[in-house]
Amino acid sequence: MSRSQESSDLSQREREARAWGWVAHLRDGGTTPWSKWGTAATAEEQSGRYLPGAQQLELLRRLNQLRLPSPELAERVLATSAPGRGRPDLGLVHVLAESAFGPPPVDPAALPADELVRVATSLIAEDVVAAGDPLEPRTPRLLRRRYRLLGDPRVADCLRDALIADGRPPGGRRATVVVMGTDLSSMLVNLWAARSAGAGVRPWPEWLAGVMRPRRLPDRIDLAALAAAWVPRVGANRVHVVLDDARRAARLAGVRRRLAVPRPLSADALELARRTAPVVGMLVTPERRTALLRHRLNPVLAAQPGPSLRIPRRHHPWLAQHTTDLRRRLAAGGYAVHGTLREPAERGGVTAPDDDRVLALAMRVLLGAAIGTTLAERPAEGEAM
Amino acid sequence: MTRKVRLHVGTPKTGTSYLQHVLFHNRRLLRRHGTLYPADRFDAQFLAGLDLLRMPWGGLEAQAIGSWDRMASSVRRAQGDAIISHEILASASRSQIGRALESLGHGRGTEIHLVLSVRDLVRQIPAEWQENVKHRAALSYGAFLRQIQDPGREGRIPSWFWGVQEIPDILERWGHDLPPEHVHLVTVPPTGGSPELLWKRFVEAFGLDGIELKLDGERINPSLGSAETALIRRINRVVNESIEPAYYRPLVRELLAHQTLSRRVGTPRLALPPDVHPWATELQESWTQEIRRRGYDVIGDLDDLRGAPPAKEYADPDHPDEGLVSSAAVDALKAVLVDHVRLQRELGQRDAELRDTQRSLERAYLRPTYRWREKLVRRLESGGSGRLLMKAYRRARGRSSRSA
Repeated sequence: MSRSQESSDLSQREREARAWGWVAHLRDGGTTPWSKWGTAATAEEQSGRYLPGAQQLELLRRLNQLRLPSPELAERVLATSAPGRGRPDLGLVHVLAESAFGPPPVDPAALPADELVRVATSLIAEDVVAAGDPLEPRTPRLLRRRYRLLGDPRVADCLRDALIADGRPPGGRRATVVVMGTDLSSMLVNLWAARSAGAGVRPWPEWLAGVMRPRRLPDRIDLAALAAAWVPRVGANRVHVVLDDARRAARLAGVRRRLAVPRPLSADALELARRTAPVVGMLVTPERRTALLRHRLNPVLAAQPGPSLRIPRRHHPWLAQHTTDLRRRLAAGGYAVHGTLREPAERGGVTAPDDDRVLALAMRVLLGAAIGTTLAERPAEGEAM
Repeated sequence: MTRKVRLHVGTPKTGTSYLQHVLFHNRRLLRRHGTLYPADRFDAQFLAGLDLLRMPWGGLEAQAIGSWDRMASSVRRAQGDAIISHEILASASRSQIGRALESLGHGRGTEIHLVLSVRDLVRQIPAEWQENVKHRAALSYGAFLRQIQDPGREGRIPSWFWGVQEIPDILERWGHDLPPEHVHLVTVPPTGGSPELLWKRFVEAFGLDGIELKLDGERINPSLGSAETALIRRINRVVNESIEPAYYRPLVRELLAHQTLSRRVGTPRLALPPDVHPWATELQESWTQEIRRRGYDVIGDLDDLRGAPPAKEYADPDHPDEGLVSSAAVDALKAVLVDHVRLQRELGQRDAELRDTQRSLERAYLRPTYRWREKLVRRLESGGSGRLLMKAYRRARGRSSRSA
């Protein structure tokens, strides 16, 4: 071996020792960025088959900044790769020789939040599955009103879940069909939110652009089309369109007592759920994935504050036009319509999730009480119930 | 306990589908010769790879849940050797590789032999773009080339491309703590070479010498010409919004690309543009030098990786011969129509069967005893005491379901 080769190997070992020193520092709860780290690890600290990737190390450092994670969580962070396609685990700058193969090494502090969110979704997905399946619904009651709930997914899905849990599954002969709705802008947000817990949906801006392109409303929230489809099957007298009145919808479905409707998720919580759902889908069947997202992750996310999602102003003419059209079709349907379809809500909030806020939320979820416990679903301090 | 696991981790487009086809169809024969090829379906090891990598794949991942651990467990239990092969494994991260090797018994007496089949970048680059197009991609060849040449390698396309194609990096990730003599590189012979040569190299790498394997079956995953790939890309641009992955795969990828357009073998092939050629060959040469330096076991010849000189007449898929695209489109339309007719016939047959079943049911309902029983049940269900009686009857009869 030549003198220059020996000196190059020595320098490489020194650089790696410095990186292992940083790993040990982070394992101990340290928060020093890699660019300011200079201490080499002792021989016994240089353990492990490989150096963890820059994404894992930076996520652990950020968690340490927020609150000290448990040693188990710290080890999981270091051992978990980001799921799916995307950038691989990256090396630390100034560790590998410049001519090395593989993706270019990076300064972890300069990584975009999106890369850290990818790693976090894998960990959150594991926690969601570990929380266990929601309770089995009680045996169906013999005496119950037959119903079908359609329309706005936020209220319809939640009401249906509550009724199923209470031994009142939907369907059956001569069922009353209840089509639930609210203003179009809220229903579009709710529809994207519902799909975020399913097989996968495109990011909000892309999805919304896709929805706005055709001239018709998405099937799930076209209240008039839903109602019209059921009239020939059950008769117009058994079809009810209920607007902004969950209590009346519950009564039509045969429940008199008040049922709680969960609070809507913030824009960033919806994005985190959207990105976690496919990873949960790698661990459990599609049916269990949707149930776990709705009953385990969403209550935890709902307890976290954050701005709500709204539709950009440029789409308001589209909304206004479809609201007028939907009102006209509902009025001509020949079935009962309870309430009035409101104008699209002019509400506050953001027009798209933000990666930095999504990362902050993901870290709060990771550091919070275990998913599936009541403690994890307690609203954040200062938020009104 | 398994003595030796031969773990084939890529790279794509190096005859892997054919190898896996042969291994799967000869798995019982292999078992008799003391080698386990753990797969209960053709794509079992692909599913195991998806599971290890936590990689969604158009809904297929639902069938992959827990499959890596199941496969690894069967390997650990087996007496003798085992073979695992899927090119998707090339993209695994170091932590996923650590988990994979440990689950296969590495460090606990099992000898892991890593196998990587490799082909020159001159052929791999166009093949990878084509594969992207057959997986719904709508990006142009030019955009693909620009993305993979960007040193930053950010984004899905370059991350994936280099993850499964950069030979020294794949070998470093997977072979990090394996002795170099346990890392085997199988080179794909240059175009025009004997088709049996690659198979002979696989036989050597996987220790299959002396086993009379049945080598029937056509080569899987055939390639498309330049105009045909351009056509699929145009189709992607208009159907991506409306055709779900579960339908895209059988209709566009299988019916159009594999079963129809790949049969048009006389049209110009997809190739590397002449201006990209020097960059690719230079990069390839640096890889070859690195592989020589590391001292791996090479089955074949590293000179196979040099790649052919630039094509004399380059057929640019971003500006294809429209006449060829039109004739490809006619072939595609014909295939869709023929398939549609087949489905119509099947539908007609099913309709007839359904009508027969309905008529039989109606005949059964017309029997007076059925009508009496139905009337009685309906009357009983309408009153409280009747319902209790029905409940008692059902319980006594041992039927758990109730009438809707």
